[in-house]
Amino acid sequence: MLRMWRIGLLSGLALVAAPAHAFIAYVSNEKSNTVSVIDTESWTVTKTIKVGQRPRGIDFTRDGKFVMVAVGDDDTIQMIDARTQAVVDSLPSGPDPELFAQDAAGKLLYVANENDNTVTVIDLERRTRLGDIQVGVEPEGMTISPDGKTLINTSETTNMAHFIDTASRQIVANVLVDARPRFAEFKHDASEVWVSSEIGGTVSIIDPGKHEVIGKVNFEIPGLRKEAIQPVGIGMTRDDKTAFVALGPANRIAIVDVASRKVTKYLLVGQRVWHMAFTPDEKYLLTTNGVSNDVSVIDVAAQKVIKTIQVGELPWGIAIAP
Amino acid sequence: MVRSLLMAALAFAVSTAAARAADPRYPNWPCAQAKVPEISLAAVWSGPSLDDAETKWKDDAKVTALVSKLSARKTPMDEAEKSVKEFLAGSAADKTANAKLLFAGLFDTLNAQRSQVMNGLERVSSKQRQAAEKIREETIQLQALQGAASRDDSKVEALSNELIWKTRIFEDRNKVVRFVCEVPTAIDQRLFALGRVIQQEME
Repeated sequence: MLRMWRIGLLSGLALVAAPAHAFIAYVSNEKSNTVSVIDTESWTVTKTIKVGQRPRGIDFTRDGKFVMVAVGDDDTIQMIDARTQAVVDSLPSGPDPELFAQDAAGKLLYVANENDNTVTVIDLERRTRLGDIQVGVEPEGMTISPDGKTLINTSETTNMAHFIDTASRQIVANVLVDARPRFAEFKHDASEVWVSSEIGGTVSIIDPGKHEVIGKVNFEIPGLRKEAIQPVGIGMTRDDKTAFVALGPANRIAIVDVASRKVTKYLLVGQRVWHMAFTPDEKYLLTTNGVSNDVSVIDVAAQKVIKTIQVGELPWGIAIAP
Repeated sequence: MVRSLLMAALAFAVSTAAARAADPRYPNWPCAQAKVPEISLAAVWSGPSLDDAETKWKDDAKVTALVSKLSARKTPMDEAEKSVKEFLAGSAADKTANAKLLFAGLFDTLNAQRSQVMNGLERVSSKQRQAAEKIREETIQLQALQGAASRDDSKVEALSNELIWKTRIFEDRNKVVRFVCEVPTAIDQRLFALGRVIQQEME
């Protein structure tokens, strides 16, 4: 009896010490045309939602009520109600939307339309199209500055990061990076933009004020061919101290010390690791692995892979409820 | 009809060339995913060093037979995984050695298979480029014939027919290329999945 009490007390204490926050992650599966819903307490897929064709870019609305997913081959962005986990509406993008970025307030959505050289601007409250920005080149990666004033669009055809002023909707600067830039990420303090280059095998660090490349992150993995190192997704901790870079068919995530711009560790995850998302408490980082069709769970503090979860075919993007 | 088909073919030929900035290292690589010429061991294996298993697997009849069965794409993955487990379960004291031999064999064989497919893709892609160039030239010739003051209708028709034919072949081959582009990825997938089972069985 006394023993039972003690166990009860201990487990009660453990609960207080480490409150178990369950979050919900949504993963877009490009090939199976579904979104997998993952519970971060049990680390299992709790639901698979049928969506439009070729789902890629995925994110929550800022209020956490909806998940938006770009379904490129259906030329639209679908909205999933996070409560019912069903598709309830769609947003008017241009043709072949690949991914999108929203401003800090969650009022404006900028959509990269892969096929017609435009970025569509959508009013998220009214769910209407406000207009298009002609970027002149095929838009690929996209991110918005923390103050919402600058939109950055990377292009595979020009190998540049194009800086767009969101007020005038004009390109104000072009910065040359390495071959096939795929993704851009601002530091939370807005002092740097990191741009990954899939073929160049590097991450270029740009000073967003001067529009100049001020540094590069290089990757080298013993025993691995250089061509296998294809940086794509980037995630940065809120304190801007540590960055995580997905290296595609190197099947690894690089952990980068932001200050020194040096890799401190490589973690073996799944095949062709593409994008990633942190849980809101930043305890875990989830990565999508496109060829092994799974999601890896990284313990951020321990810098270790603790779990692999099978999802649909060709998992591409991931978003976690705020 | 001829005209629209030709325009479509041209647009297609041009767009496939320009849609993605080609990797300067591999100008004939036709697939969306960037080319990785061969799989590195470190990308698929985190188990113990393979040492001499890399050459010795060929001397083991049981291993070579299993490798060729597991490497065949017609062998379903669940059946392949089951065979790996059975083979290692029956290995007793030689389990680690056998696991290394098996993976070394799979690594060699699947990598070679993959290289063959990739070389084929690049060969076809280079031929397609030449075909696109030819179609472009003949389209200009056709336009010249059509616009000539004394237009020779039989010549115009002959050249249009030839162009339609060439364009169809071009488009069909492009479809095949897109389909075959998935094969190297399927091989990567098989090798990684089998490697994972082998490593799990070793633990």
